[in-house]
Amino acid sequence: MIVVAILIPFIAAMFIPLLHKYFPKIHVGWFALTIPVLLFVGFISYAPALANGEIQSYTIHWIPSYGINFTAILDGLSMIFVLLISGIGSLVILYSIYYLSEKESLRHFYIYLLLFMGSMLGVVLSDNMMVLYVFWELTSISSFLLIAFWYHRKKSRYGAQKSLLITVSGGISMLVGFLMLFSMTGTFSIRETIASVDLIVGQPLFIPAMVLILLGAFTKSAQFPFHIWLPDAMEAPTPVSAYLHSATMVKAGIYLVARFTPIFAMGEAWFWIITIIGLMTLFWGSFTAIRQTDLKALLAYSTISQLGLVMSLLGMGSIALQLGYRTEMVLYSQATFAALFHLVNHSTFKGALFMVVGIVDLQVGTRDIRRLGGLMSILPITFTIALIGSFSMAGLPPFNGFLSKEMFFAAVLQIGSLDLFSWDAIGVVFPVVAWTASVFTFVYCMIIVFKTFLGQYKGEKVQKQDIEPPVGMLIAPSVLGLLVIGIFLFPNVIGTYLLKPAMVNIYPGLADQLADHYTISAWHGFKPELWMTIGVIGIGILVYKLLKHWKGVYRLFPDQWSLDALYNHTLTHLENSSEKLTRSYMTGYLRGYLMYIYIFFIAVVGGVALFSGAISFDLSTDADIGVYEWIFVCIMLVAGIAILFAKSRLTAVLLNSVLGFSIAFFFVLFRAPDLALTQTIIETVTTALFLLCFYFLPEWKKEHITPMSKMLQIGISIATGLIFILIGLSVKSGRLFDSISNYFENAFELAGGNNIVNAILGDFRAFDTMLEVVVLFIAGIGVYALIKFKGEKRQDYEDQ
Amino acid sequence: MMNNVLVFPMVLPVLTGILLIFLRPYIRLQRWLSMLSVLGTGAMSIILLQRVQASGILTIDIGGWQPPFGILFVGDSFALLLVLTASIVTAVCLLYAFSTIGPAHEQMHVYAFIQFLLAGVNGSFLTGDLFNLFVCFEVMLLASYILASLGGKRKQLRESLKYVIINILSSWIFLVAIAYLYGAVGTLNMAHLSERIAESGQTPLLTTISMLFLIVFSLKAGLVLYFWLPGTYSAPPTAIAALFGALLTKVGVYAMFRVFTLLFYHEPSITHTWIGIMAAITLIGGSIGAISSKDVRVIVSYNVVIAVGFMMVGLAAATSAALEGSIYYLIHDMLVKALLFLLAGTMIALTGKSKFNEMSGLIRNYPLLGWLFFIGMLSLAGIPPFSGFIGKVLIGKGTIEAGTYILLALAFVSSILVLYSLLRVFRNAFWGETVISLEEEKPLKKSWLVPSVLLAIGTIVLGLGVEVLAPYVQDAANVLLQPKLYIDAVFQSK
Repeated sequence: MIVVAILIPFIAAMFIPLLHKYFPKIHVGWFALTIPVLLFVGFISYAPALANGEIQSYTIHWIPSYGINFTAILDGLSMIFVLLISGIGSLVILYSIYYLSEKESLRHFYIYLLLFMGSMLGVVLSDNMMVLYVFWELTSISSFLLIAFWYHRKKSRYGAQKSLLITVSGGISMLVGFLMLFSMTGTFSIRETIASVDLIVGQPLFIPAMVLILLGAFTKSAQFPFHIWLPDAMEAPTPVSAYLHSATMVKAGIYLVARFTPIFAMGEAWFWIITIIGLMTLFWGSFTAIRQTDLKALLAYSTISQLGLVMSLLGMGSIALQLGYRTEMVLYSQATFAALFHLVNHSTFKGALFMVVGIVDLQVGTRDIRRLGGLMSILPITFTIALIGSFSMAGLPPFNGFLSKEMFFAAVLQIGSLDLFSWDAIGVVFPVVAWTASVFTFVYCMIIVFKTFLGQYKGEKVQKQDIEPPVGMLIAPSVLGLLVIGIFLFPNVIGTYLLKPAMVNIYPGLADQLADHYTISAWHGFKPELWMTIGVIGIGILVYKLLKHWKGVYRLFPDQWSLDALYNHTLTHLENSSEKLTRSYMTGYLRGYLMYIYIFFIAVVGGVALFSGAISFDLSTDADIGVYEWIFVCIMLVAGIAILFAKSRLTAVLLNSVLGFSIAFFFVLFRAPDLALTQTIIETVTTALFLLCFYFLPEWKKEHITPMSKMLQIGISIATGLIFILIGLSVKSGRLFDSISNYFENAFELAGGNNIVNAILGDFRAFDTMLEVVVLFIAGIGVYALIKFKGEKRQDYEDQ
Repeated sequence: MMNNVLVFPMVLPVLTGILLIFLRPYIRLQRWLSMLSVLGTGAMSIILLQRVQASGILTIDIGGWQPPFGILFVGDSFALLLVLTASIVTAVCLLYAFSTIGPAHEQMHVYAFIQFLLAGVNGSFLTGDLFNLFVCFEVMLLASYILASLGGKRKQLRESLKYVIINILSSWIFLVAIAYLYGAVGTLNMAHLSERIAESGQTPLLTTISMLFLIVFSLKAGLVLYFWLPGTYSAPPTAIAALFGALLTKVGVYAMFRVFTLLFYHEPSITHTWIGIMAAITLIGGSIGAISSKDVRVIVSYNVVIAVGFMMVGLAAATSAALEGSIYYLIHDMLVKALLFLLAGTMIALTGKSKFNEMSGLIRNYPLLGWLFFIGMLSLAGIPPFSGFIGKVLIGKGTIEAGTYILLALAFVSSILVLYSLLRVFRNAFWGETVISLEEEKPLKKSWLVPSVLLAIGTIVLGLGVEVLAPYVQDAANVLLQPKLYIDAVFQSK
């Protein structure tokens, strides 16, 4: 029951507040710890079956109407991730119990953490893309909450918002990519999509879908240029940084790329985009890490760089699918194997390093490299772990990082020599970039170890007492440190049971031919990759020693040109300019708003009428216009034009009523006495009302408007009137059907009334009449209520 | 299927409203009656929805006059779903009003006007006659005029004056448009209109007239012509503002869906292109507006505008997925907009400030309020597993099918800006240093939060329980796509 495994952390999260309340003496982390441990044991019990190719799957029908079902599948690729999530999760929670004091809001911390754990499991176990997306966003949200755990700090809030905006934006673009895939295949299931990959390749939406999905992966995995959120996410408590922002969540993008490789790798673009972005990230991350002074920021950039490394390996490995089965293919697919291997290794050594930094921070009171030094003698165990982690990251034996780094070098050399390129020289770029980045990596690893633990002890600069932390706090990083060495010694245990089953998922159908080729060994003779490693060490030491002399390079990149500045600038600019823009048209003046309506009317109705040729009418069959009619037309014209020039309100009202009464006369002329009567009454009453209100109205002020806007207003008025008239005339000439009114001529037989109008109002459409009565009723009561309303004294804020 | 019950969602609130007028001094009784009426309406719409599932679209020929001669109500799934949602939202807003609106309003018939508002809204959803739609609009508008200005604060009067005048203008255009259409086609019954327009073909003149309707409904819905909206919606008391934000624009949206799927669907290259352009402008303008202000209520009001644009993207794409998406989104938006208006109002009432940069650290004092806002924010941005998600997915699917990629991009980018606009509020108002000390802290009554909790539960349930709603929504979209179903239901007794 894998679905249950996903749900367990969510359910546990709900119980945390209760446990916190009823067992106040026990650190609530101990309860939380049981969950990942249980999960880890549970998952690992599936490993033997998985190695035999058995795949666990379970489905809950969530929204079958739209093909959105909660299908959880535990296959090889998922297995790597679930073990990382639950394994590192256990260690991190154990560590956090000592890291966070009882004074913190532990309840929230563990709820968010379990929420994250469940979501992350959901991401890597879901087969349905929509469900994957659901969990994907949930990881972003829980990360957001965890970064802002100390929400009273400005930087935490800033970092939280940044990460949420960037990762959610990426998630949304990924969602669109999924929807595009759906439009091609008709399924949200990843497995079914892989099976029907022929439907996708070559479709016009193939590239857009791919790019959009990659945007999701790149934002989540902090790939260049979206990496900027990760350093700011370091405001989170260190266990969170170790767990979410180095070991698991940021690897969701890697997972996604690995998972979708069988779908997209047929297109060449997949290989290029991922490899190039990955290498850029690798290079930029390692290069930027060196200049950091905050240990956590340094680790953040190092994480970015390492993620880039894994990403680029996945990109290189994907070429194997594109080429199809050949003998060389095995070689190329080894890049993917290396990617998965390094992924695991990175989680071990980076997790350990984060915990070390947390210990230093907690025990010494600072993470600033400039204020640290000489801690080796004070924190010997911590130092040992830091040494193991850093040397592994730098790619030195006898640590696991050495193995995967060597495989990385082998892969870039392989790709560099691949004759894919129309331009030969470009092939050289791959190993050169990879090697340079590795030199930088080596340098910052040395910084971590030597600047923190060696050199002069600067005890007087730091406030706290320096003693080794409680044993419990050292357990988790020690376990990781042992794993770093253990994996170096027995790499093929992981290779066989964890990585090989995953290869099957990335290279479906081809895996059988590949199965026997992957073995990891520390020694494979004096191959080029070994020389590269030796070069890295040699040059690396040199570069490290000369650090002071070339650090000026970083000043070539002024802060205001950085991507961070771009992000900040975009947001402030967005707010300011939108404020300006909105204020420019939301004037608050009714006249302006009415003008918008009329202009819009002219554009839309006038435009459509003109361009579709709707205006056509024929006046020849009309009745002649009589003398009286001319007279009233003239009266109305005069009155209408005179209103515009009225100097007082009284004149305007009276002229307006001239218009109204003239209409009444027209009704008389056209033999509609009842309408004439109604119109006369309405006109009398409104005129009388107007006159009554006069007393209360403020003075009539002449408005000053420029001739330009006056012309505009005249133009709008004339155009509006003309359009209404022309449509009216066209309607009159373009009658399409007889009116249903003939039916009502039998009013007497049907409704017992001689007067058709009365019968319509009182019977045929009595419902309208009733509602109109209600309208009058509301209006009457409303006026009463408005006049009689006695408001309490209000606070002034509402009048702002 | 004829069914007399169909008239109740409108008549019950009307009668209750009239009754309440006579019960002015008995406020407790007024509360009970108005709540009962709204719940009754909701219950009835559930029953009616089941009937529609069982036996097809329901109609009632009022006064027994056969269509197309008399007026009739037509209850299809689309209309009834909206009636149901409107009733739920009204019930919740009433609940909030009970504890917040104050005796001055209560004695001045506020509950009666709310009943009339609901009557107008429900009538607009249910009517099958174009002129009757106009009349129902009037019922709704008159009630909204009074509700907007009741309270008599300076800002309220200023904004409601604009609101009234703009709506009178739009009512007038509506009337003229009906006259033109009647002149050209000679009938007012919507099914009959649909038949006749299909028979004669949608001539350029009819298309022009349809654009008039588009303008009228855009004014109501705040599609492109939304400039009146932020002011009007941020002036009245919170319960009323929530009701407005949830219901009023949706009636305009509904009318556009009805008119452009039932009557004027033959020239999509003109009408639906315009709708698409207008949706795009609305999304852009609304998004820009939402981040332009620091006033919480104004931000929420602009989010109403964005949502309208979002739903109209579905109409512009007009595939079955897109229409279903819009329907889900309509329902979702009614709930969540009410939620946000209530929360914004509560925040303002607690802090005495209306700008988010003047609030800070509220989550420490009022954690539940903060988390409710958080849920509302995510839901509005379409983040799963809340209710905005499925609508977004389906509209996205629909636009991809229809190939309207610009609208797709705008719709999805807008949801990022929605998130950002509310995230600013959350980050500044709820997080940060707590400025209110424990002594100063205004007590937050439970009764202020219960309505919001209900709505938040609503958005979660709706998000997780899409499958329950799916058959109704699919049926609703199906009728929109096949006008014949609607026409046959109306004329079956002929």
